Amino acid sequence: MNYYVRKLLFYVVALWTAVTLNFLIPRLMPGNPVDILMAKLQVRGGSVDPAARRAYELLLGTGGDESLLSQYFAYLGNMLTGDFGVSVSVFPAEVSEVIASSLPWTIVLVGLATLLSFLLGIALGAIVGWKRGTWLDTLVPATTVLAAVPYFWLALILAAVFATTLGWFPLSGGYDVTLTPGWNAEFIGSAVYHGILPALTIVVSSVGGWLLGMRNMTVSAASEDYVLTARAKGLRDSRIMIRYAARNAVLPSVAGFAISLGFVVSGSIITEQVFSYPGIGSKLLQAVQNNDYALMQGIFLVITVAVLAANLAVDLLYGLIDARTRARV
Amino acid sequence: MTNPGPVTKTIVDKRAGGRWRAVLPAWSPKLGIGLGLVVLIALFGLLGPLFTGDPSAVRDIGLTSPSGDHLLGTTQTGQDVLAQLTHATRGSLQIGLLVGVLATVLSAIFGIIGSYAGGALDEVFSLFSNVALVIPGLPLVIVIAGFVPADQRGSWTIAVVLALTGWAAAARVLRAQTLSLRNRDYVAAARVSGEKTWRVICVEILPNLLPILASQFVFAVILAILNEAGLSFLGLGASNSSTLGTMLYYAQNGFALQLDAWWWFVPPGLIIALFGCGLALINFSIDEIINPQLRTGHARQNDSDVTAAKPSSGNRSAVLTVTGLDVVYRADPPVHAVRDVSLTLGRGEILGLAGESGCGKTTLAYAINRLHRPPAQVTAGSVVLHDRDGQDIDVLALDAERLRTFRWSKLSMVFQGAMNALNPVTPVRAQLEDVLTTHRPDMSKQERRSRCAEVFRRVGVDPSRLDSYAHELSGGMRQRVMIAMAMLLEPQVMIMDEPTTALDVVVQRGILREILRLRDEMAFAVIFITHDLPLLLEISDRIAVMRSGEVVEYATADEIHRRPRHPYTRQLLRSFPSLTGERGLFAMSTPERETS
Repeated sequence: MNYYVRKLLFYVVALWTAVTLNFLIPRLMPGNPVDILMAKLQVRGGSVDPAARRAYELLLGTGGDESLLSQYFAYLGNMLTGDFGVSVSVFPAEVSEVIASSLPWTIVLVGLATLLSFLLGIALGAIVGWKRGTWLDTLVPATTVLAAVPYFWLALILAAVFATTLGWFPLSGGYDVTLTPGWNAEFIGSAVYHGILPALTIVVSSVGGWLLGMRNMTVSAASEDYVLTARAKGLRDSRIMIRYAARNAVLPSVAGFAISLGFVVSGSIITEQVFSYPGIGSKLLQAVQNNDYALMQGIFLVITVAVLAANLAVDLLYGLIDARTRARV
Repeated sequence: MTNPGPVTKTIVDKRAGGRWRAVLPAWSPKLGIGLGLVVLIALFGLLGPLFTGDPSAVRDIGLTSPSGDHLLGTTQTGQDVLAQLTHATRGSLQIGLLVGVLATVLSAIFGIIGSYAGGALDEVFSLFSNVALVIPGLPLVIVIAGFVPADQRGSWTIAVVLALTGWAAAARVLRAQTLSLRNRDYVAAARVSGEKTWRVICVEILPNLLPILASQFVFAVILAILNEAGLSFLGLGASNSSTLGTMLYYAQNGFALQLDAWWWFVPPGLIIALFGCGLALINFSIDEIINPQLRTGHARQNDSDVTAAKPSSGNRSAVLTVTGLDVVYRADPPVHAVRDVSLTLGRGEILGLAGESGCGKTTLAYAINRLHRPPAQVTAGSVVLHDRDGQDIDVLALDAERLRTFRWSKLSMVFQGAMNALNPVTPVRAQLEDVLTTHRPDMSKQERRSRCAEVFRRVGVDPSRLDSYAHELSGGMRQRVMIAMAMLLEPQVMIMDEPTTALDVVVQRGILREILRLRDEMAFAVIFITHDLPLLLEISDRIAVMRSGEVVEYATADEIHRRPRHPYTRQLLRSFPSLTGERGLFAMSTPERETS
């Protein structure tokens, strides 16, 4: 089977698993979330019409006599049309609206920070691995400290130092609330300014992992015959490092992207909470605290789809940078 | 011998004796610091609560900074931070250990059993692990925790949920390792001899997986402590539990940050970070068992103490003169790999270098081009290349930059095992053009392309193959590509290290013919290294026979064929059946042919 077809199939299976988990979890857990939601909805003055109840029931379980299978198919239908029900914590907004308004913040913040951290870690790791036996080796244990620091704690420390004490950056929020969101320089500048500390948190805590993996692979690659050949060819040291050692060493890092991305996403959710960042992580916690099960479910699904999509993109990229995967049948 | 670099032993290759010793990490400062941190923090959590007071006792001295009475100050409600810290550390360690064990067991089940059984079970387990891996863990945990009412959220619930979302990466690593172990000879032998599956797994496979299991366990503990802390920090941890995460949760909600109460939120995170760092340092040592290459230590290159003999010059017909060359592996005890070797290579000559595996011939070849790596060191002798334009180049005295320009333009090499000598991830064209862009920066793109096509045609490979990757070429073709690459800059000397050993006889013939023809056309000299003396008799002008680092016989091919003087030469001649079958006797002894 073709590499790309195999990968696509795998992600279809993974997506199906996530959607099904999303369907099963509320039904396996104790309590009756639909009633809780309906009660909350009433308190907020929402219409307790049968349609709203139906949407919740499909998402969270009916408790009635409807067969699980027919619930499941109706649920899949709702997922396909993006109907996750009404949010009670951000009433009267639809869950999909809440997600649509907060997702871009997270994607830009986490996406850029992850990319930056990946590139930085790969570059530093290649250099540290290539210059083995020099003082750079001492960097290696130091990175483990960074990797072991909890994201949210680092966020607290950064906030304490740079926001509370020094006052260089804002303590919380995603932009200056006096501005109206829009594509103008003032707003974007404010968003960047507010994003620096959260981004710094993500970069600092995740760069160590990339660095370490890349360093180890570079050390292995440096003893390969093709590196010896490259040296015999009289190539410049930097060229051997980049085109021969690092070019091969980066493959496992890219292949292991899935594992690392999970960490980054997990860490980012909590980081958002510390900075009250208007992203999807904060919304998820808000939903959990308010028993807004519909929003919770919707956000989990969206995060999963985003992570799967990112992994798929990386896998496709892997096919491009390693010709051998395309040949393998 | 395939590689002059440091001999690396892989621990998983070892059987029985020394297995347990080998499983234990070697002592290093890293391991010492790591163990120290872990033990200290574990003791702090274990014994600390006995010495500190009630962590939840409320006093009316809210948020006092550290003092004699309260070493780490107090919280908003006047609780002693140090007392809380000891209890919280204990809680975090407990859950970390619990989850670590659970996750490791899960990963062992899915990683080892599936891959050992193979077939459909492996496919299913592997798919399952991979799916579990790509679904982001913490969001899932948050959702599950969100559905469980707070009063039903016990430590075990949290531990099970964390373990369920944290085993997949380890399972993947274990699967890969089991797959490779499964095909080792001794495991196959145990299976064939009818040992029970569980016995094979427990006796033959598990001990060899121990370092990896240990490393994955340590990793799972770190991850569990971090995730639990995150969960508790969000207020989703186990009810009534006290962990470092819950401390931070209260600190955050008590506005410790805004009130500058650093003593409240700094210590819990610091403990997590230090404990994680300690475990990671231990993991380093375990990783070094799994992959000995990672050990730090050797400096990369150090030729400083070459006592260069005065190069003898004046031999106009020679292209390369090696005088009294000594190469020592600085091991304990030092190994004298090349001993006082002197050779002269005439222009256009083919010099055969014969000898059994490990006799130092590859080390010699590398030392001529200064490609040997520590701990190998040239301790005496000289290597001089007599350039076409009449200049003598003292190779051992070249500085780094001049050595770089010397390589390949004056002297190129064809390595044994061309599969690994070609970069697997770039097309061969890029690897050929690399040479030209570096050594001939003035060449235009067009000129480079036509030059590459030209050398390909010369070695009998269709230039359309330039866009192929190494894995798309047959063994013979890869070796031809290497030879084409070696000719790019028209060097005066080419060192060929077992260029045809891994190839079948027909392909070998073809390539040898090619080499002889090219030598005639382009007049480069060749040092041809092989263990196959009869083959050398056919192609070389002169032959040097090496044994234990020394040249024991050095004469023309004809001489060696007719009147071998050294008994070792005679032994070598007898022990090989030749390609044509005329010389040597099949029945005399079993030839120990190298395959790599």
